Amino acid sequence: MKFDCIIIGGGISGLTAGIRCVKEGLHTAIISSGMSALHFSSGSIDVLGYINNKVVYKPFEALDTLTGTIAQHPYAKCGKALIVEALQFFKQECETQNVYLFDNENLNHFHVTALGTLKPTYFSQRSVFNEDVYNRFKSMKKIVIVNFEGYRDFHPQLAAAQLSKHALFANCEIIAKSIDMPQLQDLTRHPHEYRSIDIARIFENEENVYRIADAIRLAAEGADFVVIPAFMGIHNFNQIHNILQSRTRLLIYEIPTLPPSILGLRIDNALKSRFAQLGGVYIAGDKVVRAESSNDVVQAVYTANHPENPLEAKFYILSTGSFFSGGMISEFNNMYEPVFKLKLHYEPERNKWYSPQFFYSNSHPFLEYGVVTDENLRPYDSKNNIIQNVYCSGAILAHYNPIREGCGSGVAISTAYKAANQIISLYKLMR
Amino acid sequence: MIKLENISFDHCIKCTVCTIYCPVARVTHLYPGPKQSGPDTERLRIKNPQLLDISLKYCSNCKRCEIACPSDVKIADIIQTAKWRYSKKEFRIRDFLLSRTDLMGTFGTIFSPIVNFFTHLGIVKYFLDLVFQIPKGRTFPNYASMTFRKWFKEARKYQNKYLEKVVYFHGCYVNYNYPQLGKDVVKVLNALGKGVIITKEKCCGVPLIANGYIKKAQSHGRHNIRVLSRALPHEQARIVSASSSCSLALKHEYPNLLELDNTPIANNIAYITQYVLEEFEKGNIPNLKPLKYTVAYHSPCHLERMGNVAFTIELLRKIPGLTVKILHSECCGISGTYGFKNEYYAISQAVGSELFKIIEEASPDFVVTDCETCKWQIEMNTKYTVVHPISLLAEAIE
Repeated sequence: MKFDCIIIGGGISGLTAGIRCVKEGLHTAIISSGMSALHFSSGSIDVLGYINNKVVYKPFEALDTLTGTIAQHPYAKCGKALIVEALQFFKQECETQNVYLFDNENLNHFHVTALGTLKPTYFSQRSVFNEDVYNRFKSMKKIVIVNFEGYRDFHPQLAAAQLSKHALFANCEIIAKSIDMPQLQDLTRHPHEYRSIDIARIFENEENVYRIADAIRLAAEGADFVVIPAFMGIHNFNQIHNILQSRTRLLIYEIPTLPPSILGLRIDNALKSRFAQLGGVYIAGDKVVRAESSNDVVQAVYTANHPENPLEAKFYILSTGSFFSGGMISEFNNMYEPVFKLKLHYEPERNKWYSPQFFYSNSHPFLEYGVVTDENLRPYDSKNNIIQNVYCSGAILAHYNPIREGCGSGVAISTAYKAANQIISLYKLMR
Repeated sequence: MIKLENISFDHCIKCTVCTIYCPVARVTHLYPGPKQSGPDTERLRIKNPQLLDISLKYCSNCKRCEIACPSDVKIADIIQTAKWRYSKKEFRIRDFLLSRTDLMGTFGTIFSPIVNFFTHLGIVKYFLDLVFQIPKGRTFPNYASMTFRKWFKEARKYQNKYLEKVVYFHGCYVNYNYPQLGKDVVKVLNALGKGVIITKEKCCGVPLIANGYIKKAQSHGRHNIRVLSRALPHEQARIVSASSSCSLALKHEYPNLLELDNTPIANNIAYITQYVLEEFEKGNIPNLKPLKYTVAYHSPCHLERMGNVAFTIELLRKIPGLTVKILHSECCGISGTYGFKNEYYAISQAVGSELFKIIEEASPDFVVTDCETCKWQIEMNTKYTVVHPISLLAEAIE
């Protein structure tokens, strides 16, 4: 098959680039092997959360500090104006699928994790952050954290204990409660077997939502905030949120659970639907195993399902992610990028790949390893030549640390947007 | 003693993503989902087969878990293998008959007017429900009065005038129930300047695997690999099939599940839309007249697993005048013989309900899909006719 652009990797970065390309009229395909990291994400979009272990409040101002110290940082290659544009693009595309992302203007806001810690982030879904949450926050007295009896991937007492240590909640009463959903429990199955996805499906049934609302109202009398694990449906989440809030007259707030993350799943669904709606070709469950190139130009890629059948394109975007999703492979004492065998930035000595303490404040060095690119995000091959028609985006890029800097999704979106921009302008020149 | 050859389940990191995309786990709590039935309990079963979990039987083998898995675990294969390796096989006449598509087809076509009359009769359906546990709500596909193979005897004569030849694996459904699709395939291939060869094939084995007749499926598989490889006119020649499940069996199930060596044919197999699209891209495009329809395309699970959906969509987009609405990927629920059994019928209908709803919302002129059993399920549950993409292309060819 022949395309204008083939994107390898169907996560947040690949989908953003795909939507951008297909919107500009490029015949675009995304090849994805297995579901992406969005299924494990918080569902909020982080732009820049920390510098030197300090929380960042003004992410766009702090960008200069960051790129000033790390010249090779992907953000430095994008530039502030493009980052802002990319984020607005992403927000608008999500909105077409009824996923509304709220920001705190130019400031970061915080979302609560399942452990009760606060994480700085830039965009959140309306069940996590919106104007009401912002206004209510100033005068809150009582927070009730609710879990569903038998669901074992969330511990409200733990979250409450951690949260109450925080200075923001010094004058606030935080209570953990469990609510029973007897009418929903199938007798053939033990409630401990429920996963987030099972409960989210229970919420999708409107009749159940009314019953749950009544149970929440009883448990959370007088609360300023009601915190529940992110269960408010996979498709009808806006409607469910509205019903719950109007029936309980309480402000209901979702926190992401252990995987699978319903908040992340909503973004994944939105981006995939948008890409398909615009006419993009999404090839799921297949893996690019090799590429064919001549004179530093990639001609075709081959997949595991069709080892004999080339997929050809004028341009390629590599957004296969980091080690976890197979974008890079680490062996006993070396690392490589499996599709194009690109030049990687990494420390050859294995004992320098990681920090001895798991929760070390400077994070692990391997998170900064990845593909080396020029300022246009084009990678180098093993002979140090630039590959002319390949661009890289997202977690496969080197020289940034998504954990330490709290910038994973921001980098994924910005670099995808930048890569797509390059391709679009070249494509228009060629015509 | 743990058998070391089967440890792919160790790559499972328990992320539960497969369970999100399992259509059966979505509608019933009787099935705990692919993660638990596959990799989780496999490590128990290999230690002691008695730890076999009875809920395994609810897996409909749609393979959506394998498409979703970020760690490349062959979840559905683990479940299918476990189902038949560890469980005690009890003979059921219904399962025997449902899995013998060729045997049933031979009788069905000989007595087609009588068989078709009776399978649609309320009282017969009631009887089948009572005695054979075949749901009375289920409609049966009709048998044809003349098999495809018999028709092809005439058509074979003019295949020699084409220099290049393609081997066509037609499958039981085309032969016994719907020869028209086979005729359309021949028409399309001829229009591309290719002669058609058919072999003395046997059923691909998919219904046999689903009902636990693994030995029988293996013997069919060996036979098919032998006759297909012998029929190949040259090394690069193609074997095409217009059934997504037959293609999946020839290409993936033979080596992965039945442990057969299909290397003599593996690289020659191409699903029909892939083959036709390849020819189109070489510039070999017959004259096409515009078809002024709006169609809704439903992608069958097994075609998705093979990674062939994109080829079909690209081909449909090459038909002038046609408006294609791509439906959100959902399982129709029938899963071959699964939807023909009382114990799964309600699940099968519940799984499909989402798809039926989005078809109604799309309100097309008709539905297009590549799979024969999806066709039965959609036609039974919606008011729409279901057409194979190749039949649509055949209609466009002047």
